[in-house]
Amino acid sequence: MILIGEDLNVMSKDLAQAIKNRNPDPVERCIRGQEMNGMDYLDLNVGPVKKDPVETMEWLVNLVQGITECPLCLDTTNPVAMEAGLKLCKKKPILNSASGSTEGKEKMMPLAAKYKCGLVLSVINDAGLPADADERAASIMESVAYANDLGIANEDIWVDPVLMPVGIDQRQIAAYMEFVRMLPDIVPGAKTTCGLSNLSYGVPKNLRGLLNRTFLVMIQRIGQTSAIVSGFDEELIRLVRGDLPDLVNLIHRAMDEDDVDLSGLSPKEVEYVKTTNVLMGRSLFSSSWLEV
Amino acid sequence: MALKGADILKSLPKTNCKECGFPTCFAFAMKIATGGAKLDQCPHINPESKAELEALLAPPMKLVTIGTGDKAMVIGEEEVLFRHEKSFFRETAIAILLSDDEEPGVIDEKLRKIQGFHFERIGQKLNVNLVAVSHDSQDKGKYTSLVKKAMEFTDMPLLLVSCETEALLEAAALCARRRPLVYPITKENVGAALPKLKELKLPVGVWAKSLEELAGVTAQLQAEGIEEMVLDPGSKNMLEAVRDQTLIRRSALKKGFRPLGYPTMAFPCFMYSDKFKEALAAAACIAKYAGIVVLNQVDERFLLPVLVQRFNIYTDPRRPMTVEEKAYEILNPDENSPILISTNYALDYFIVSGAIEEAGIPAYLAIKNTDGLGVLAAWTSGKFNGEAIAEFIKKFGIENKVKHRKLIIPGVARKLKGELEEELPGWEIILGPQEASEIPKFLAEKWSV
Amino acid sequence: MSYEPPLEKYTVSIREVAWGPAAKLKKIGGENTLPFHYFEGALPNPAGLAMEILDVRPESWSPIVLEPFEDVVSDPVRWARKCIDVYGAEALCLRLVSTDPMGMNKSAGEAAEMAKKVADAAGVPLIVWGTEAEEKDAEVLVEVAKACSGGNLLLGPVVKGNYPDVSKAALEHGHAIVAQASMDANLTKELNIALCKSFPPDRIVVDPTSSALGYGFEYTYSIIERIKQFGLFDKDKMMLMPILADVAADCWRAKEAKESKEQGILWEAITGISFLLAGANLLVVRHPESYRLIREMIMEC
Ligand code: SF4
Repeated sequence: MILIGEDLNVMSKDLAQAIKNRNPDPVERCIRGQEMNGMDYLDLNVGPVKKDPVETMEWLVNLVQGITECPLCLDTTNPVAMEAGLKLCKKKPILNSASGSTEGKEKMMPLAAKYKCGLVLSVINDAGLPADADERAASIMESVAYANDLGIANEDIWVDPVLMPVGIDQRQIAAYMEFVRMLPDIVPGAKTTCGLSNLSYGVPKNLRGLLNRTFLVMIQRIGQTSAIVSGFDEELIRLVRGDLPDLVNLIHRAMDEDDVDLSGLSPKEVEYVKTTNVLMGRSLFSSSWLEV
Repeated sequence: MALKGADILKSLPKTNCKECGFPTCFAFAMKIATGGAKLDQCPHINPESKAELEALLAPPMKLVTIGTGDKAMVIGEEEVLFRHEKSFFRETAIAILLSDDEEPGVIDEKLRKIQGFHFERIGQKLNVNLVAVSHDSQDKGKYTSLVKKAMEFTDMPLLLVSCETEALLEAAALCARRRPLVYPITKENVGAALPKLKELKLPVGVWAKSLEELAGVTAQLQAEGIEEMVLDPGSKNMLEAVRDQTLIRRSALKKGFRPLGYPTMAFPCFMYSDKFKEALAAAACIAKYAGIVVLNQVDERFLLPVLVQRFNIYTDPRRPMTVEEKAYEILNPDENSPILISTNYALDYFIVSGAIEEAGIPAYLAIKNTDGLGVLAAWTSGKFNGEAIAEFIKKFGIENKVKHRKLIIPGVARKLKGELEEELPGWEIILGPQEASEIPKFLAEKWSV
Repeated sequence: MSYEPPLEKYTVSIREVAWGPAAKLKKIGGENTLPFHYFEGALPNPAGLAMEILDVRPESWSPIVLEPFEDVVSDPVRWARKCIDVYGAEALCLRLVSTDPMGMNKSAGEAAEMAKKVADAAGVPLIVWGTEAEEKDAEVLVEVAKACSGGNLLLGPVVKGNYPDVSKAALEHGHAIVAQASMDANLTKELNIALCKSFPPDRIVVDPTSSALGYGFEYTYSIIERIKQFGLFDKDKMMLMPILADVAADCWRAKEAKESKEQGILWEAITGISFLLAGANLLVVRHPESYRLIREMIMEC
């Protein structure tokens, strides 16, 4: 499982301030922490960068490359900033992200072709988010064909099936998993990735990690090859790196069996089983899923 | 019942030879499942599996087209029982009933109104769709001339209604080029009507007193090559309609029962003489699956609520509904009125505009196009940030409408305040309340210029 | 042609909630099938219908809907009686508008006194509704619960932010409650789970918040359908509560409803009947005519 650290993100007020004021310290702390925890890539999410896109991106990429050897995943909706960043990357970066929309095809995909970098390609297209697995498949095949024509190989494509918050539409989780299972057949050679935290958007903070971790174990099992995750969630990292095989096995069992016997399990194990149940769509999600 | 890509794959050769133009058989199967490819593109599929797949891929409910050209009404091919499962796709056609028993003056008035109908609501056109011409007099000549008149006065598709089979078929022949729906064909008259129906190739409305009988008639028609049918289970009130319509839809979609795999029709006009109840039954039939609803009134006070309900029921729940980007004027604002800004996610618009109306304070509601995204999602994707909003404010000349320079933004978008202060120098950016329900009190307290 | 109608049976029932004075006890819910599906299941209780009254003279009502009550709107007790005696209301919904902290801001005590008067004079099942100001509602509904102790009212809206106080008082004084979560099945379930730790599930009605034709109607319609189906189809115990659709205020706020009497009545009646078809078990309506129409339509069975 290739882990991409998501923590350098302008949604964090402190980091947004630091980037705006060109203050390297908070950025450095964030980068070092994630690197120590073993992230394979570091995502630099600078948002739409309306002000000084080029300077901002250049400053950040140079700063980060001075701190770490880790390859980067550049995350901005602004193609100008994107290009400025790609130009400077020493190791093969990932462009995060393009979708199958007109904008994705015209602005972002050509950049990925030009700089021969990895490309996160989501299943979103001009019609929005596909409603189920088959529609996702139809959308991604079309976008991948377009990318291939630009000279981007499947091996450089990181398909993002788009993970929706469990609280918004639980059925999307089953669709997500169905799609991950079929992906090797429809885009052979491509990788998969997703913004994992989005799953638990809107859920009370103390419960978000549990949802994210459980789901990552679930999709790792069915063939997900990468995810954009919090580089500070140590339990998550240990789970997918094979350090907690008992818990992983338990989650797998809960995926296969409707009624895992909870007696004799530790409170933590019970939580993982209940969370797996809700993610498998066996009962309607609510933020009190652990209480029933 | 829709076939999944994985199911289709089972009948493909699985050799991944790529001759269909797709990298794998699986990819091809996915395309077939979503309607993006045709089975013929695979040269290697064996004919038996192909025939089987074709039968399975045929939609469980047929598509029926009534009328021709612009105003043709297409119904059927629905895929679900509940709109939240996917969406309802083809709006119920609203038919207005004319009877040859009515006074000529009444008929003229109705025709004039039907042809002139035109409602528009938040950029959506709301219309009635069919003219139902009913033969209630004993006089065939009277019926024929009414059909002619309806053809002459409107360009809408026709629904011919006559229990005199001979008169019905004559009328059908008369307006065949307008592709009317011919109703009712029943167990009793199907034999006599078949030769003419086959010749005219028109859509057929089938009536029967039970679903079983209905299935018998459609099977008979289908065997003779009639493909487009609309089913009338003869429901006599709202409850019966809910029952009959539900069972037909279920039989078609859940059981794959072809003889009932057609769109349906209902006649609230015959269920209730009270105009209010007729409208209520119409709404019930729209919510519960009718492809055509026949009404006996042209009063817009009764039709508008029904048309709006139909529009709401048929809105695609998978796509956020949007409203047009512009500065909406609520309660006739003037140069001192407040300006609030929000996204074009329809629910946001309704809630905020409703709250302003409730406050009773005239205001401008500036609605920025965010492709239906709500405030936070739109901000993250750059569609509702300082720059985009500043551009929008300028483009719509909102500054010329008011003397003040104050802009009220959604309370959840805290970061937007700073951005806008940079982008719109000279403006005071006011953070509104967190909840729209607090807008009335917010305006009452804070708004003074 | 042999044909078996595809009937469906579900193995659970919507909970039955009974509220109101013993002599006029009103039961809602209890069905083991979809709305109006008499042909394949049991619906022991027809949907409940409550007519709305306010504790103060309405300020912004359209003349169309004010007219039937013109002579009584200054006196909630007479208003209640007119709804029952003249318009045949089987249940009422008293809105304590006067307690609005941004409006008249009357005290909880005063409001409770008024609620008691109305409850005594009406003698029919009564919903008592706050102003949807969380904190104030908590105070007000607790006082109402006490003042009308044993009156078996339906108190609402009870929300995530105020449920402990209100549900405790309701339980102590023998009232049922309306749990409100805005347009979200997940939140509805969450609130029910929280409530059911200390409150009997068969004393809860859920309110996914309503809307009017043309103004968010389709969201309410589908959320009601989904809540019902999570209960009936998926047997989710926390989703088997009967559902309230309070359409009165939203419908009469719509500008189309104010354009003519006919259109206004239908705006409300069509919204109401549609939500009943989606799965609502209890409606609150404003105009006597829409009340009558909906009742006659659903009583046909
Ligand atoms: S042509 Fe047929 S056998 Fe060949 S890859 Fe396409 S679907 Fe498979």
